[in-house]
Amino acid sequence: MALLKLENVTKRFGGLVAVDGVSLEVETGEAIGIVGPNGSGKTTLYNVISGVYPADGGRVIFEGNDITPLPPYKRAPLGIGRTFQIPRPFSSASVRENVAVGAMFGTMSGKVGVDESLEIADRYIELVGLSPHRDKAAGSLTPVEKKLMEIARSLAMRPKLLLMDEALAGMHPKDIDEMVAFLKKIKEEENITIMAMVEHIMRAVVGFAERVMVMHQGRKLIEAPTAEALKDQRVIDVYLGRQLGE
Amino acid sequence: MRAQREKYYPLIPVLAGYLILFLIGREVTGMWQLMAMIAFYCALGQAFNIFLGMTGYVDFGYVAFLGVGTYGMALSISRLWRVEGLGIGIIPIGLVLAMVMAGLLSVAVGAVALRLRGAYFAIATIGVNEGFRYLIEGAKIWGGSEGIIFSGQMKKAFGKATASALSTFWADVMVFSIAVIAACITIYYMRGKIGYALTALREDEDAAKVMGINVTKYKIIAFITSSSLAGLLGASAWALKLTYVFPPDAFEIHYTVEAIIIVLLGGAGTLLGPIVGGLVYGLSKYWLAVIMPGFQLLIFAPIIIFIIVAFPEGVIGWVKRRIRGTALQNYFL
Repeated sequence: MALLKLENVTKRFGGLVAVDGVSLEVETGEAIGIVGPNGSGKTTLYNVISGVYPADGGRVIFEGNDITPLPPYKRAPLGIGRTFQIPRPFSSASVRENVAVGAMFGTMSGKVGVDESLEIADRYIELVGLSPHRDKAAGSLTPVEKKLMEIARSLAMRPKLLLMDEALAGMHPKDIDEMVAFLKKIKEEENITIMAMVEHIMRAVVGFAERVMVMHQGRKLIEAPTAEALKDQRVIDVYLGRQLGE
Repeated sequence: MRAQREKYYPLIPVLAGYLILFLIGREVTGMWQLMAMIAFYCALGQAFNIFLGMTGYVDFGYVAFLGVGTYGMALSISRLWRVEGLGIGIIPIGLVLAMVMAGLLSVAVGAVALRLRGAYFAIATIGVNEGFRYLIEGAKIWGGSEGIIFSGQMKKAFGKATASALSTFWADVMVFSIAVIAACITIYYMRGKIGYALTALREDEDAAKVMGINVTKYKIIAFITSSSLAGLLGASAWALKLTYVFPPDAFEIHYTVEAIIIVLLGGAGTLLGPIVGGLVYGLSKYWLAVIMPGFQLLIFAPIIIFIIVAFPEGVIGWVKRRIRGTALQNYFL
């Protein structure tokens, strides 16, 4: 059984069809990349999966259950965690408190107390290497640290599926390689499925994703193993562009 | 267990503050009324902070809950004073009625208005306050625009001495108690899951939702708590103390503005902030009224603007940032 199954998911904003009949199956334990140019509907698709926007058509099925009508706060405890393109920390709260919120409200049992959550938070803060900044206000972190904090925060929710929205944008190439290695590591250790969205950084896609879905103008252009997809003529035409000298 | 107890250390400066105000009022001749006024502003700030400070939503109709609470007490006294055997029991009934009426109104308002965000919520709540006032006046509910005057009934029901003690002393004691209760609830919320949920939704409501927080539920909890306390405050500081209620006074938007100033001045979302805000606001209002009667608002406005520009996170917010990492931070929240 697929962990996540999208059936003809559609989302419209007035006349604009941001996501147009996208179907996709994600198996447990996969690392899948969602690739596409700006405006291709990737973030909207994430918002439909995590419940920020209700789908206008189609169904979102998680572990065999239809979650299409569920509000976001009911989806998170089922095991859907996400990070944002531009990090959205709870700025005035400390890093520790931010991560604790994930453990407190995002886990399945829903019965994790405050003290226990803070302990869980410490574990994930250490995992992403933010221990020295534990008691700082989250708003005072650097952009990269904020991203790491968001990852720790969503890991503390013990998700089965982690939706990462442009986790790598704006990062130094060296940091990107480190991040990709880190994501692979937590994917194995924490036993989670990761769906990562990438706009431009192909080296990250190649390094991380076993399979990609390329989106274009709200539709699924192709869904294939990474190397194959990036060689596909349609992908090159609409997205990557030709190599110089070709 | 020790860590559990330490969590509540910030209550120490709060309780000490109220105790000092109370003792000054009792021991220094002529100070009781001033201390009672300050306690009212502290309590108002403390109650309002549970909603405004913790959720970041600005309720411009907050005074409506004080107004409704005032009516709760007024109705209890004016309708029940003849009932045999109730005696002084009318007062607790009035307090409960005030709390329930304010609570119910907050459920009704919250269920609709809390779906709106930011400025839209603020505007909607102004409408509620004015609407409620004109409903009472226009539909002639609860005495309509003539209000309810119940000083005579209080005297007949409790005797002259008791009635006078109720409005000149016990009403103020109740205000002090409400301030303390509100402070206890604040720290209980802040230290618990509710506090984490409210901080998250105040900072970023959408992020809070995808973290698994039912934001509507927590906003409504904070709203009902804050409003019920306002109801109690109206019942004691207004109804019992003044022994009458008129719609234009009970729904005067001026008090909402004062509450907002107090919370922002002291530090929104902090425990100690409303006391500092109430103290500074109450004292300067009194002092300006003495030295420059009639000009107090004119002078007060620029002072407020200055403080809010200089300390955007309020006095206590500023202090908290300063003492981060020192031993003092265990006592400031």
